[in-house]
Amino acid sequence: MPDEQAASAETSVPTGESSEEEPAHTEPDQDEQDQDDEPAPERDEETPPALADPPEAQAEEAPNGEPDQVEDVQDEDDLDEPDQDEGEQDEGEQDEEDLDGEDPGEPRAAEPSQEEAVEAEQDTPGEAGARPEEPERRGGEGLPPETVAALTAALDTLRASVSEVSFGLDLPGAGEARQAQADLLAQLQDYVLPRVRTNTAPALIVVAGSTGAGKSTLVNSLAEKNVSRTGVRRPTTGVPVLACHPDDRKWFAEGELLGGLRRIDKPSPDAGLDSLIVVPTEKLPQGVALLDTPDIDSVVEEHHEIAQRMLDAADLWVFVTTAARYADAPAWNLLRLAKERGARLAIVLSRVQPRARDVVLKHFVRMLTEYGLGEIDRFVINESKVVDGRLPDNEVTDLRLWLAELSVDEERRAQAVRETLNGVLNSFRTRVPALAKHMELQVAFRGDLRADVDAAYRNALSEIDKAFRTGALIQGEVLARWQDFAGSGDLMRTLQLRKRGRSARQAPERITAFRAALRVGLESVIAASANRAAEEVVARWRHRSPLGVTLAEGLERPSDDLVRHASRAIAAWQEHVAELVRTDGVAKRSVSKLLSFDADSLSLIFMVAMFSGGTVEGVQHRLVTALLGAESLRGIGAKALSDLRARIGMLFDEESMRYVQALDSAGIPDESIATRLYQATYNLEVAR
Amino acid sequence: MTTVAARPSLAMRLNALTKIVELGPGRLEPKLLAEASTLLTRAGERLKLSSEHTVVALAGGTGSGKSSLFNAVSGLELSPTGVRRPTTARTHACVWGLDGATPLLDWLQIQWRHRFARASALDKGESQLHGLILLDLPDHDSIRALTDNEADRLIGLADLVVWVLDPQKYADASTHRRYVTELAGRDAPTVFALNQADRLTAAELAELVIDLNDLLRREGVEHPSVVPTSAITGRGVDSLKSVLAAAVSRRRAAVQKLEADLHRLEQRVAQTMPADEALSAPSTVDDARRMGLTDALCDAVGVPAVGEAMENIYAERSMSWVGWPYPRWFAKLRPDPLKSLRLDDVADEIRGITDGSVSAQSAEVINAVQALADGLSGGMHPVWRASLNHAARSRAAQVPKALTENLTKVAPHLHHVPAWWRLLKTWQYTLVAAFVTGLVWMGAGLLFPGDAPLGFQLLGDTAALPWVGLMMAAVLGLGALSGIASRNFVELGASRERERLEREMRRRVAAIAETMVVEPVERELGRHHAFYTAMRALAG
Repeated sequence: MPDEQAASAETSVPTGESSEEEPAHTEPDQDEQDQDDEPAPERDEETPPALADPPEAQAEEAPNGEPDQVEDVQDEDDLDEPDQDEGEQDEGEQDEEDLDGEDPGEPRAAEPSQEEAVEAEQDTPGEAGARPEEPERRGGEGLPPETVAALTAALDTLRASVSEVSFGLDLPGAGEARQAQADLLAQLQDYVLPRVRTNTAPALIVVAGSTGAGKSTLVNSLAEKNVSRTGVRRPTTGVPVLACHPDDRKWFAEGELLGGLRRIDKPSPDAGLDSLIVVPTEKLPQGVALLDTPDIDSVVEEHHEIAQRMLDAADLWVFVTTAARYADAPAWNLLRLAKERGARLAIVLSRVQPRARDVVLKHFVRMLTEYGLGEIDRFVINESKVVDGRLPDNEVTDLRLWLAELSVDEERRAQAVRETLNGVLNSFRTRVPALAKHMELQVAFRGDLRADVDAAYRNALSEIDKAFRTGALIQGEVLARWQDFAGSGDLMRTLQLRKRGRSARQAPERITAFRAALRVGLESVIAASANRAAEEVVARWRHRSPLGVTLAEGLERPSDDLVRHASRAIAAWQEHVAELVRTDGVAKRSVSKLLSFDADSLSLIFMVAMFSGGTVEGVQHRLVTALLGAESLRGIGAKALSDLRARIGMLFDEESMRYVQALDSAGIPDESIATRLYQATYNLEVAR
Repeated sequence: MTTVAARPSLAMRLNALTKIVELGPGRLEPKLLAEASTLLTRAGERLKLSSEHTVVALAGGTGSGKSSLFNAVSGLELSPTGVRRPTTARTHACVWGLDGATPLLDWLQIQWRHRFARASALDKGESQLHGLILLDLPDHDSIRALTDNEADRLIGLADLVVWVLDPQKYADASTHRRYVTELAGRDAPTVFALNQADRLTAAELAELVIDLNDLLRREGVEHPSVVPTSAITGRGVDSLKSVLAAAVSRRRAAVQKLEADLHRLEQRVAQTMPADEALSAPSTVDDARRMGLTDALCDAVGVPAVGEAMENIYAERSMSWVGWPYPRWFAKLRPDPLKSLRLDDVADEIRGITDGSVSAQSAEVINAVQALADGLSGGMHPVWRASLNHAARSRAAQVPKALTENLTKVAPHLHHVPAWWRLLKTWQYTLVAAFVTGLVWMGAGLLFPGDAPLGFQLLGDTAALPWVGLMMAAVLGLGALSGIASRNFVELGASRERERLEREMRRRVAAIAETMVVEPVERELGRHHAFYTAMRALAG
């Protein structure tokens, strides 16, 4: 509030000095600006502390700071000069205010506020002039072209990198990250890039706050024109309205600032949420534009987003709250955000009942101070009769002066603009890496899920291997068929004495049944393992994140084709083994002289030997060893087993591809983007 | 408890909720389940406490004038009002008719020093408010409320909530999104007091009331009850009082609130577990599915193959007992390929293989159980599908072992040699002996025609030789015939035995399937059915 500023003016700087120094400074500063262009960035760093100091002092003085009448008069004189330079209407306003101030009908509490407002206005330039660091701060106003170029290039790269980011996986925080990404892009586009390119642009002052706080009324009153609709319905304003001096209109109507919004001249029913009404008014000083935003806390949630977007593009934030609302949670969230972003902020507490003014103000100031916002500019507007959507003029005098001052004092304006821009650029230091972190999280998560799939199918394969080794396969029907085959004498009939040369009397249906049983047995082992693997994948995914459940939807069971494919693969493998036995297993010479044997049957015996476990030396082992010879048996055994493994592996690869596809369909996060984001942030810092 | 008796539907719905809470763990989200059991506890407690009293809470944002309205309704300056925000940090209560209210106030956790009673002496014609407990809540939307859930707690406990709105904040998301939208629904007992009406002109007020009504309807409040009030001018306070009096005199607010809460909870549960087709899911395992499971398990054991193998092995083995012995002897004369491979003893081992052991293939068992569970859980919610799966497989790991053990008992003993085989073997050897005798006779007759030694004249009788020859041929023929006949007998017996065996094995497999798979599955199906029946009962 102005009263603190008045207090600080009293304590920190003798008013006389400030008024003398003020004009002296203006010219040399301009010259210095050009000379000092080179080391500008360094000086920027130094500026914020220099600025921060006095306000703190003000805050401390706040409670007992009573305006000094004598100084008032002096300061007012100082102040009038720039105002007169600026334009006629300011002068007129000044007079009007003075009249209003004397109005006996006005509530008692209103009076100080007005006087304070006047002080606030005067002492600020004085303060600025008195500050020893003042000349150095000049550099902030204009950046050397090469710095601008470097910064623009860095920001362009950053924008490109950020826009490449896509968060495909709906992990916790992905929504926020997407929002943050959109916010970042919008802010880069709407605000940072245009602002860096042309920093001489008029300052955009965004009026934000709760619904019903009187944002539109305030803007209307300041613009002295009904630029924005007011009313009792909440929320009232849905489309942002920008009011500016006619000379600045071109810049806002055609400029890149808030480039994503459609410009319209007057409210129309089809004005969507992506519109911006630009209204010129001569009553506003040049170089400052007021933007009336939708609310931050009504039931219409789209409004919150627009308000957010407007604030992202703001050079200065004017936060409006009311005596009834100043403790609302959404309001403080916004203040916290402003603090985080380092945005230049002014607070308007409106709709204050005159009789409650002191209590409310004191409480509010205490809350602000506790929040670390004690030193920012504050304005108080009394609850008063709103006529035709406007407040009585005397209520907004201090704000008007504040605006006028910003308009006149280009340096101060540039300073404020620069500060907010710096704040935004500073915020990139954490916001961009936060995006990158989430990106890494996504990459890591995807990697984890992928690893889960691999692990599950690896387990399934080793399970199958175990089943092969332990003889779990030679159970049930396979066992019965083997018994049948052996017991019914077919086994013996397999072996034929060569000299007889008689064709073997085989029972083909028995062999076929035995082979089929083996195939079915293998199939069921594969199916059971695939089933377990599918369940394991889903369970692991579910365990990792609720997102895993959505991703794994419809994948709890192996694919329908699995059994068919498995059956085909095993039939092919059986053929292969028979072929191996026929060609590679040309048997021991001694045996082949004596006997001929049926390769198909022998391959079955071989399979039984292969699957019945290595520990027990059964008939099948002895038979095949005797017939094929240990060496060639080992060869065939190894070949057959690796071939079977390869075939099952292929089946499982096909199965696991389903999960990979499910992952891919959610979007493949690019690992390199995170690095690029870090790089872009670093480059930006270097460019600054 | 009289209320419960009077409203059986609420009692039934609470019972249904009890069932849902019982079945919920592991199936419902923990948060939702916790809410359900909280509601159940709350309902039980509230219904136990005074049904003569109606708890009305004044809720609203900071600065909407709850305390002023509270004071206006009670007619006393009980709750401090102020311009600082937030003003009220602790809940104040005013009771009309204190008798029996104390336990209720204790339950509401209202501090003693914040309890006020309107004694009858103070009542000036306010008997219609007798039984009202009016609560002045702290706000729910200030930064203080972020760390304090006092307002939330009491909004949940109150029988009737009066939302105190004001022209500035009536459309705040903090009120509408968090409470109104959520609480909206069938006859939720809610009143909206549009306070600070004195700040508006008549036209503005009318516009605002219309706007508020529209907003509330959009949010699902079917018949919004909006009362414009002004704590300063006293306007509308009487209307509000009469609304409250109506609620108090009906003594239904508590039940209504619980019903609305139940409805909301039901909606939320139904959202996560839609009941649409869940009740059409089978509640028992039907015969066709049982049959399917038994078939699949029989396949896992290989029952048909076991039968076939038994038949074949039986037939093969019987040959060495009942068959014609000559081909056997003849075959033995041939060089044995095994012998040439030095595998002579392999035949015994082969006999070892065929020593009638039966086992189940575990992979096939698991697949069979899985198929049953998948078939049953087709239309179920994933959570229930998972729990059904779990139930089906709860004992599936022991099934192969149980099958193996149980079926081995009935497995055929192939080494068993029936007595008639031995008899036949004797017979065959007798025939062989007869043939040999005939051969000797013939030889003797041919070698010593007519000069047989004493006592053996008959042998030398050449006239008998043709008869002897005839007899030898007959003996050979008889042997062959009896070999063929008994083989047929063996096969007939074996196939009969096979049928019996298969039947018996099937019976045992079915019994194991019943106890180890079907029973747990049916238990789970029953739970599923009970859950959704309760859901339907809860929906009322």
